[in-house]
Amino acid sequence: MFMFTIDVWLLRAIIAIFLIAIVSSIIGSYSVFRGSTFMVSGIAHGALAGAALGIFLSLYFFHANYLLVALAFSILFALGIAYASHKKENVDVATGVMFALSMSIAILFLSLIREYASVAWGLIVGDLLLLSQLDVEIMLVSVALIVLLFILFHRKILFSIFDPEGALSVGINPWQYESLLFVMMAIGVVVLLKGVGAILVYALLIIPAAASKRISSSVSSSMLLSFLIALGAGLGGIFLSIYTAVSPSAYAGLIATTIYFLTIFRK
Amino acid sequence: MNTWETPKNVPMESQFRGEVLIEVKNLSVEYDGSRALEDISFRLKHPSLLVIIGPNGAGKTTLLKSLLGLVEYSGEIKIFGKEPEEARELIGYMPQRDRVNANIPLRVKDVLLMPLLSKKIIGIRKEDVNRAKDALRTVGLLHYWDRRFNALSGGEQQRVFLARTLAQNAKILILDEPFSATDVATKMKMINILHRLKQEKTIILVTHDVNPLVECTDNFLLLNKRMIAFGRVDEVIREETLERLYGVRVPVIRRENVCYVVGSDVHVHN
Repeated sequence: MFMFTIDVWLLRAIIAIFLIAIVSSIIGSYSVFRGSTFMVSGIAHGALAGAALGIFLSLYFFHANYLLVALAFSILFALGIAYASHKKENVDVATGVMFALSMSIAILFLSLIREYASVAWGLIVGDLLLLSQLDVEIMLVSVALIVLLFILFHRKILFSIFDPEGALSVGINPWQYESLLFVMMAIGVVVLLKGVGAILVYALLIIPAAASKRISSSVSSSMLLSFLIALGAGLGGIFLSIYTAVSPSAYAGLIATTIYFLTIFRK
Repeated sequence: MNTWETPKNVPMESQFRGEVLIEVKNLSVEYDGSRALEDISFRLKHPSLLVIIGPNGAGKTTLLKSLLGLVEYSGEIKIFGKEPEEARELIGYMPQRDRVNANIPLRVKDVLLMPLLSKKIIGIRKEDVNRAKDALRTVGLLHYWDRRFNALSGGEQQRVFLARTLAQNAKILILDEPFSATDVATKMKMINILHRLKQEKTIILVTHDVNPLVECTDNFLLLNKRMIAFGRVDEVIREETLERLYGVRVPVIRRENVCYVVGSDVHVHN
């Protein structure tokens, strides 16, 4: 009976969870392997600045989809960190600097857009059950792009983050592939932003990958398991939220962290 | 469990034998405004074994990277008459062990196949797998093929990296401190492998451990930003050149054509 009354918002939420699980599998795993999980959190807040800018532009100048402006802003954020990393700056320090810069910009525009600030603040918490058709379409295209880049460059990215000098010696420029990875991370974060919000990006992007890395013996099994954990946490969150009046991302975050703790206790 | 075998994948390449392989003329490298290398010149014949020694910060790794075309330099480097960037196909490079990211759940076979796989988008050639297995067998670790790389000891990881350079089937092996984490037995076995490989390949390695190499090394290069000396063991492993290299007196004991540098590791005969 329930299946016949499934509404379009719920359907979009389920599609979004699948897309988020794919991002967790690829981008989450790379971030954990690279040891740059703070950057994921940093990019999420950079995206907030982009969203605030997008709303500001729409109000006073021309129509701009704020999610796409957020995407562009996150990519710039990622390239900035990649450049600093190339100049031998610690990635965490560079992220911290970009974090501060983008939060300053975010607060600047949020105070300029006043009553519309709640739209941008919505990206801090996000809601899986409030995704519009356009949101899901943007997510779908972004994930397709990530998967395509993954198929084309997985081996070179992995070589670059495992052994940059070895990669250089066979003619692979590790900086180039690290930058590509950072851009993929930026795209992935924006996919999650509207669904689970900047604060919980970590819960569905990093935690499934971190948990599965602990119990996997290879890169491919780690990525597959990360997909399954993110999917389980996301779907579990949605179904629990149907029966109680709590946001699904809260449940999803709790399920993901519980799984992570189980992998800690297991060893 | 450890079975060390004769290298099987040594190609029979006679066309370059005895020719000058590497020619370095007036090589200088600058890093952040200061000179890392100054006016280095030497020639190597193929095949042969060159050992580079020198104090910390002497530019040893920088010299290896110049040969790979990974740093900007002035002067001239020719490898089989080619520029370093064009000669990379000929070279297998083993970086220092601590330069790799230990955070990735790679298996030994993934590490071995990485340089070969990175040239293709998908798929794997059977001959590449066979070559990687032969290389792993050569260093006595074939039974680790499916094992997690991070679970290996430091010395075992270095043997996997040596195998990785062998799997690339290169004419030239460039090894940066290949024995830094190995015990004496493993080191001697690795040196035996290099001793056999140098019949066919040119090997250039950096080490702090001179003694076990004195018998099989064709040339030593004593480096402290400038080239202090270049030549055969009996020409350069002498107290006066080592004192110029390190700035302190380093006793050298000679007995029956074998020399022993006091302060470097214990010399063990197999």
